[in-house]
Amino acid sequence: MISVKKVNNKPLNLLEKIYLWEIARGLSVTIRHFFANLFNPGNILTVPYPEKTIPLPGNARFRTRHRLKVRSDGSPKCVACFMCQTACPAYCIRIEAAEYTENTVEKYPAVFDIDLSRCVMCGMCVEACPEDAIAMDTEELTGGALNRGELLMTKDGLLRNLPGEPSRKGAANRLANEYLKSRGEE
Amino acid sequence: MPTLTIDGKPVEVEKGTSILEAAQKLGVYIPRYCYHPKLSVSGNCRMCLVEVEKAPKLLTACSTEAAEGMVVRTVSDKVKAARRDVLEYLLINHPLDCPICDQAGECGLQNYYMDYSLAKSRFKNEDKVRRQKRRALGPHLVLDNERCILCTRCVRFCAEVTKTAELEVMGRGDHSHIDMKEGKALDNGYSLNIADICPVGAWTSRDFRFKQRVWFLKKTPTICLGCATGCLIEAHHNENTIYRTVPLPNPETNTWLCDHGRLAYKAVQGGDRLVKGVIKNGLIDFEPALREVAARIDEARGAGAVAVLGSPWLSIEDNAALARLAKDALKTENYCFDFASEQGIKDGILINKDPSPNANGLRLVKDAHGGISQAELSSRIAAGQIKVVLAEARAAGLIKDALKAAGTRLIVFAANKGEIPAATYATLPYASYFETPGTFVNYQGLRRRTTPPAEAPEGVKPLWAVVNKLAAYSGSSLRLDSAEDALKGIDLK
Repeated sequence: MISVKKVNNKPLNLLEKIYLWEIARGLSVTIRHFFANLFNPGNILTVPYPEKTIPLPGNARFRTRHRLKVRSDGSPKCVACFMCQTACPAYCIRIEAAEYTENTVEKYPAVFDIDLSRCVMCGMCVEACPEDAIAMDTEELTGGALNRGELLMTKDGLLRNLPGEPSRKGAANRLANEYLKSRGEE
Repeated sequence: MPTLTIDGKPVEVEKGTSILEAAQKLGVYIPRYCYHPKLSVSGNCRMCLVEVEKAPKLLTACSTEAAEGMVVRTVSDKVKAARRDVLEYLLINHPLDCPICDQAGECGLQNYYMDYSLAKSRFKNEDKVRRQKRRALGPHLVLDNERCILCTRCVRFCAEVTKTAELEVMGRGDHSHIDMKEGKALDNGYSLNIADICPVGAWTSRDFRFKQRVWFLKKTPTICLGCATGCLIEAHHNENTIYRTVPLPNPETNTWLCDHGRLAYKAVQGGDRLVKGVIKNGLIDFEPALREVAARIDEARGAGAVAVLGSPWLSIEDNAALARLAKDALKTENYCFDFASEQGIKDGILINKDPSPNANGLRLVKDAHGGISQAELSSRIAAGQIKVVLAEARAAGLIKDALKAAGTRLIVFAANKGEIPAATYATLPYASYFETPGTFVNYQGLRRRTTPPAEAPEGVKPLWAVVNKLAAYSGSSLRLDSAEDALKGIDLK
């Protein structure tokens, strides 16, 4: 059964039927805004994105540009388990694993690329991470770019802690905690 | 012949069969860690507990012999509870470092936990027993004692299969761990099988370490070309890169795989893979190299001074193409597909006395196309009758003394730079059998065809196609458009 809703549109009156008056009324709105913005540009609501951005509302919890969290010794919390790469529906993450010789954590990402031009900002990588190493809380929106290369985030660009964030130990990683402790870093 | 009932289904088995094997015959899977079909029964992991009517306790299916009239239940509540408890016990001290563990994805603990347990641990993280992590043992393996569940498959493998007995369970109770005996080294030539049979991540391969996650790997069954045994293997690959090869157990040839054969894939994946032609010592593109080779052959051809040598390292197709080149294009009698080889298992496990994979296949080519004997060819080379020899790189090594003495120009086909013999005039690359199909006959006379898991590097063609092109440069067409074309006229039986 298709439900049908009857719409009773008001019939047009004479002034509306001849159109000219309505066109003049519409143009007057446009012209009013034109002159208002011309003489008072401070009140323009539109932002020339991506050159200019406005801060996101603080409690909005948007999924924004990724970052990789850093341990207190400067190493990435990421252990290159490939969970994010596996979970990623857009195939935008590329990891190459390597081995630490001394660090007891054994494994780290030698390459960690996120191709933001492919990323769909779904946040599955953050959900999948067993080490709490990747986050999308930088509050920076993925802007446009003039070439594709600018949208490729490498490990160097991704590795950072937020200002004021306590440089936490690898909470989930017992081996990392022990290693940091042995080096006197908390 | 006892008849027993498993989960309500009757099955008749040979005397001496265990309940686990009887269930397998019925298609009923009983989880196991320590049981391995080719190793002795240990019965220590307790994962295969099943309920047998009239038995007071649950019995281990792997070590209990099937008896007449036995009534076995593998999915009763009692069995389910036992499996859950065994898994909880095995996981008490497990470090749960799956993110850095190579076994993750094919791990017995992960799989059985998902299938039979899903229970939360009642033990504290801090109370776990700590053991040594990441310890390189032998040339190919890494041992992580913390992940070990002491199923002793590795201990039994070294004791029973290689009979070298390097490993042992040391200590007792919470202190027990797998360790190497003093004065031994884990280099028995079959050590990588231990990484395969380890049901958890305790033994991992150093070669495969951190290269790829196992769930990304695609699997292609093919054959090992390390020697005349011709084991069945499975190549694990992703995005045109082979990451490892594992044995494909079969009753005819092999359960295991030797380290040499297992790492043979590296010859086509490593940096010394030959993807261009070589003239003397300089790399040049394939086409100019081919033209140069054709020019040298044409020079010597008029005097009948060209010889073609087949190779037991090449497939039947490629050897047949070489024979056609000599017979139909170069119209010479100087071609040899005769290789005497002694075959048979050398070490009682897998490694063959004959290091080449296709000596028997070469015999078929010889039967179809004829040719002179190797001694005859050597004497003709030594006598200076031959100016140019066309051969596969490793086969050329067999006549190197004659070549050296006569100063003959040697033109070889090679897939890897390491294979090229010294004083080679020109080298042409060809697609290896990880990249193109090829038929091989092993020492038992079993004919097997490789399935290529990867694609050849750009510009590299199968050897029969290179030969076809070479013939075209020499002014005659062999009409080889596929590997099957090359097989024409050969009686494969």
